[in-house]
Amino acid sequence: MRKRLWGWLADAALLLYFVFALFPVAWMLILSLKPADQLFSTYFSFTPTLDAYRTVLGDDEGIPFVRFFVNSLVVSLGAVALSLVVGLPAAYASARWRFKGSEHLMFTLLSFRFAPELTVIIPLFVLYQKLGLFDTYAGMVWVLQLVTLPLVVWIMRSYFADLTPELEQAALLDGYTRRQAFFKVALPLVRPGIAAVSLLAFIFAWNNFVFPLILTSHEAQTVTVGALSFLGGDRPKYHLTAAAALISVVPPLLLALTIQRYLVRGLSFGAVKS
Amino acid sequence: MSIALRGVVKSYGRTTALDGLDLDVRDGEFFCLLGPSGAGKTTTLKAVAGLERPEAGTIEIDGRDMRDVEPYDRGVAMCFESYALYPHRSVYDNLVSPLRSPRHRLPPAEARDRVDTVAGLLGIGDLLDRMPGRLSNGQRQRVALGRVLVRPARAFLLDEPLSHLDAKLRQQMRAELKAIGDVRRTTTLYVTHDSVEALALGDRIGVIRDGRIVQTGTREDIWYRPYDTEVARAFGRPRINLLPGTVTEAGRFRSADGAFELPLPVRAAPGTEVLAGVRPRDVSLTGDGHRLPGTVYVTEVLGRSVEVTVRIGAQALSLVADRAEVAGLRPDDPVRPAVRPENLLLFEADRPHGPGRRIGRR
Repeated sequence: MRKRLWGWLADAALLLYFVFALFPVAWMLILSLKPADQLFSTYFSFTPTLDAYRTVLGDDEGIPFVRFFVNSLVVSLGAVALSLVVGLPAAYASARWRFKGSEHLMFTLLSFRFAPELTVIIPLFVLYQKLGLFDTYAGMVWVLQLVTLPLVVWIMRSYFADLTPELEQAALLDGYTRRQAFFKVALPLVRPGIAAVSLLAFIFAWNNFVFPLILTSHEAQTVTVGALSFLGGDRPKYHLTAAAALISVVPPLLLALTIQRYLVRGLSFGAVKS
Repeated sequence: MSIALRGVVKSYGRTTALDGLDLDVRDGEFFCLLGPSGAGKTTTLKAVAGLERPEAGTIEIDGRDMRDVEPYDRGVAMCFESYALYPHRSVYDNLVSPLRSPRHRLPPAEARDRVDTVAGLLGIGDLLDRMPGRLSNGQRQRVALGRVLVRPARAFLLDEPLSHLDAKLRQQMRAELKAIGDVRRTTTLYVTHDSVEALALGDRIGVIRDGRIVQTGTREDIWYRPYDTEVARAFGRPRINLLPGTVTEAGRFRSADGAFELPLPVRAAPGTEVLAGVRPRDVSLTGDGHRLPGTVYVTEVLGRSVEVTVRIGAQALSLVADRAEVAGLRPDDPVRPAVRPENLLLFEADRPHGPGRRIGRR
């Protein structure tokens, strides 16, 4: 009896937490469905309409939201891809070999993550202006990679370190080169790690606000900054911002759902005696 | 192919794995490297394979210095104690892996034949579609061994390849391993901690301890002329008796408590503190030899024979006797076990920094 009571209490507590956590999301959803003239009413009765979504996706306000959305996709995926291409070999090397200064190198890489972005943004702005990287895809990929690369290297390093080197050694003795041992043995075994870190890196890149705010103006602007454009002008259009924000949640959400399978499954180890 | 290691040193941080190791494996020989865990056996194999780079010393294969030769260019095949099977590939793909590599590539049909032959040999023919994660340890070990045997190799390096098989299978595999043609013809360096395995398999045996080779020789060398008390203790079950005592003026052995004396087959300086070694199977209750006064302490049935521990003064002497001989013997019954002087091994007393060495030659 007492056990059952505790169970109910726990359920009630969980429910309370969900209401608390999901309320802002619900509020956004309601806001995005409201017609413009009922925006500021505080009661929940209104005529739901998809006008806000139509406006946002139709570029009706002179704000090219679809373009921002594509920009976000391009620069986020670009940053993740670049980080994987550079970061996977780096993570492997740092997990397998200690060489002079290797720890300093790793620490320097990590320090990119704990320096606030605002401390470097002004010099970056000047540099980008001079180099012609301002408001370009290349420039955005390059700067977002500062956020995602340390993530990839440090997380993948621990995945590689958990892998016994004897598997690659076996491959060497089977007659494969070191490069082949990396691609045929080490890399397939850390696939769950690659899936996890790609998702994480994508979310970090997608959600980044400060870099696109300062380093883009129109051509390469992303959704995080673009969604705010609806608040400018004579009258803030909250319903449009809400709709834009909800649309921009979709890609990370979809990615998380598709990758989840790899995250959970993992590889059945056990070919190596522990 | 011959393998020669000269003064090889390898350390991991502050621990020294190999401390000036010298080793010669002759062409076509089955060489067993025997030692306790942590003695440097695996490190030795990996150094030969080129997976560990020694800090000092040279490794030669067929007289050629291997210093900067990559593992895949050394032509050796190695079986890892951890199996090191590729967990994401089926048993078949694991076995065929060397035959798909750039060094040992075979046409797919030939590779398939080769894998089937080896799998049949090792009794894993019906496991080919399974993933390594779904095999027992014994099966994994045989797959690991199979991956070594499928490919041509100038030498096999086997790291405890039978340790995880159950007792019956191990005995069967031990017998079969040396009968496999490729193994018989190819130089094999075999690492084990099991002295029975070393005696059964090795053309020659090397005893390794603390990163050095203590003794190399045939099984007769190791058995009859062990380098020191520790080598003597490592081989033979029940273990060799090592009785403490001194050498008398007359050149005989007197036990530490003065309970008995024995004639010695070798000459030693009078007054030396020594250990007299005799193997339990060389002591008998009925045969002839020098008789010692004692009482039965405990008996333990080993199967057809019985291990009897006899108290002689303050010493315990164990011996192996036929069941019939000891029928009716009870603790504290008086017995007179016989030792033949020619079966005695004489060692210096063990010191804190190392086991006592054998005295004299035979």
